[in-house]
Amino acid sequence: MNKIEKIWAGIVIAILALFLSTLAYSITIGYNPPSSGALCLPADLEKFNPGVIEREPGVYEVNILAKQYYFEPFKITLKNPKKIIFRITSIDVIHGFSIVGTNVNVMVFPGYFTIVTWEPPQNDQREFLIICNEYCGTYHSTMYSKLIIER
Amino acid sequence: MSYSTENRFIKISIIFSFISLALGGLFGLIQLLARTPYILNIDPQIYYMVLTGHGVLMAIVWTAFFIMGIAVFVTTRVLKVNLNKVLLNSSLILSLIGTILAAIAILSGQANVLYTFYPPLKAHPLFYLGAAILVIGTWIFAVAIFLAFLSWRKSHKKEAIPLPIYGVIATLIVWLEATPGLAIEVLKDLIPMSLFGSPVDVLEARTYFWYFGHPLVYFWLIPAITLWYFTIPRILNTELFSETMAKVVFILFIITSTPVGIHHQLVDTGIDPSYKYLHTVLTYTVAIASFLTAFNIIATLEKSYREKGGRKLFGWIKNQPWNNPVFASLGLAFIIFGLGGIGGIINASYSLNYIVHNTVWIVGHFHTMVGTAVTLTFMGATYLLSPFIFGRNIFSGRLALWQPYLWFVGMMIFSLSYHIAGIFGMPRRTSSILSYSPIPSEWVYLSQIAMIGGLILFLSGVLFISNIGLTLIKGPVISMNGESLNIDPKPNTMFDNLKIWIIIAVILIIVAYILPFMEIYTRGLSPVQPRLP
Ligand code: HEM
Ligand SMILES: [Cu+2]
Ligand SMILES: [Cu+2]
Repeated sequence: MNKIEKIWAGIVIAILALFLSTLAYSITIGYNPPSSGALCLPADLEKFNPGVIEREPGVYEVNILAKQYYFEPFKITLKNPKKIIFRITSIDVIHGFSIVGTNVNVMVFPGYFTIVTWEPPQNDQREFLIICNEYCGTYHSTMYSKLIIER
Repeated sequence: MSYSTENRFIKISIIFSFISLALGGLFGLIQLLARTPYILNIDPQIYYMVLTGHGVLMAIVWTAFFIMGIAVFVTTRVLKVNLNKVLLNSSLILSLIGTILAAIAILSGQANVLYTFYPPLKAHPLFYLGAAILVIGTWIFAVAIFLAFLSWRKSHKKEAIPLPIYGVIATLIVWLEATPGLAIEVLKDLIPMSLFGSPVDVLEARTYFWYFGHPLVYFWLIPAITLWYFTIPRILNTELFSETMAKVVFILFIITSTPVGIHHQLVDTGIDPSYKYLHTVLTYTVAIASFLTAFNIIATLEKSYREKGGRKLFGWIKNQPWNNPVFASLGLAFIIFGLGGIGGIINASYSLNYIVHNTVWIVGHFHTMVGTAVTLTFMGATYLLSPFIFGRNIFSGRLALWQPYLWFVGMMIFSLSYHIAGIFGMPRRTSSILSYSPIPSEWVYLSQIAMIGGLILFLSGVLFISNIGLTLIKGPVISMNGESLNIDPKPNTMFDNLKIWIIIAVILIIVAYILPFMEIYTRGLSPVQPRLP
């Protein structure tokens, strides 16, 4: 290899190392992609109750069940949420769970729980569109729900 | 030397790839119009049949058959060897049968599972059976090429491996690294699921799928890069800037194209974040290979400009044979490869991925890569090789010149608007966006702009297919003497010893995958019943 090539390879490695270190930094401040490995066996599914539980003031646990082709509950209304913990599972096939316009975007598997923690923008009161963004069958594009944040 | 069996193989597989491209393009048009609000209203079941067809035809059939045809051409002409006739014929027959079986399942609407066929969605058994037979066909194909290569190698120990052959061999090695993942998924999970209704663990199946799915990308890309390395210097009447760097790139692809599949599963549940980060790091290592490729091609362009007396700093961009259809196709494909590559780094970024995952950003991304960097390069290669392969000159040189520019413009509009729409969260794989309420307004106008780009793209595809069709029927017949490509032999170096790199690749694959699979299996599986889409 000649000299310019070596310089270029060095530059490339430096750029990529920089990118990787920003990603490593994002981990240290808690930005990990959702990865929980909790299984959802048939017995767990039976006990699973879709709906909202307020754990502490402003901290909500939202349990969502995804099915061909809807989310249960369809409409979630939260008052002054600081932190929302979504626990989602599917009763049939793979679905997606994406809150449009935010960085909540995760896969939902039958047989597993997906757990995502989200801190919504403060002082923002809005109606968010939640969509299933993984193909789940013929009427996949009709699968969506609502998240309403009130202040 | 007579190449009658080989030539028949080349003709059949390349013509078959064009048929797939044509049908796939038609399907692409339907998707485009259906996705744009208020243009085309089609039954969702038909939409997903079409989408499965488009994905399979474009991503697998068009690319694999073109690559096999070109690999036979390069191997026979450069090494001046015959391939084993029995192996070659049986690989062609099996690949065709497999594809046709899968096509029957898809077109009859019984395999609306898209080209990723994630279980527990279930297709007709013919679909999986067809895929399995196709893969076996490609394995036999790889054996035929390897045997020819090894027997050549025996009598040419002191010579370096000619670069185009290096590309062919690297492509096949990557294919052999990748396909076991698919084979395990299909045999262990999908065929039992579809035949007997056996339950499947979705995470396990997805991990096998993406073990295959990422190196698949390099199976497409290495042939395109090989064609750049080989063709561009010849058109410019110069030498590649650095042959060593080209080989380093191929070696990097062999080592790192497989142990990175989890970057497709960054937002999957059940895989530890540290393994996701490991695969991100390895993905960035593959990116080095792409950066080196970009450098090598650009340096070759500049070198040729300086050799011809050019002095301006950026004169090497303009002063190239942009009016040569082959150069234009490859050059434009290369530019889009650069843009798409940057997008790829974003996709693979651990914590940026959840902004773009499963949005039309991804659709924009792979149309730049497989849909242009690869496809447009193959189109340019067709213009170049038509006299050798079909014995006919291209029917219309004018059309052949317009075509790559239209593809480029169409693709820029189409993919840029999809990239942006993806950032606004517009989902991919949806038959219509009209069912959501309220519909974000960005989704609407960006789909409309994308439609304009897609129409230009489609027009360019029509020009290509009709030009090739006319070439086959009416193109000026020419007899090509000197049926071989001469490459001056160079001395053997450490970069020509592939064994060691293959061993390193296997070790790295084991290291990168043993941990996630241990996690999956020690936690225990959670199989679920299959469902119809
Ligand atoms: C005529 C030009 C083309 C048009 C108009 C077109 C259009 C489209 C559209 C609109 C989608 C997204 C559908 C959806 O997500 O709902 C799509 C998906 C796709 N396209 Fe194309 N495309 C074209 C050419 C190509 C080429 C040349 C390739 C590759 C060689 C390709 C490969 C793919 C793949 C792999 C998918 C993903 C399928 C899936 O999500 O299952 N396309 N195409
Ligand atoms: Cu869905
Ligand atoms: Cu990938």
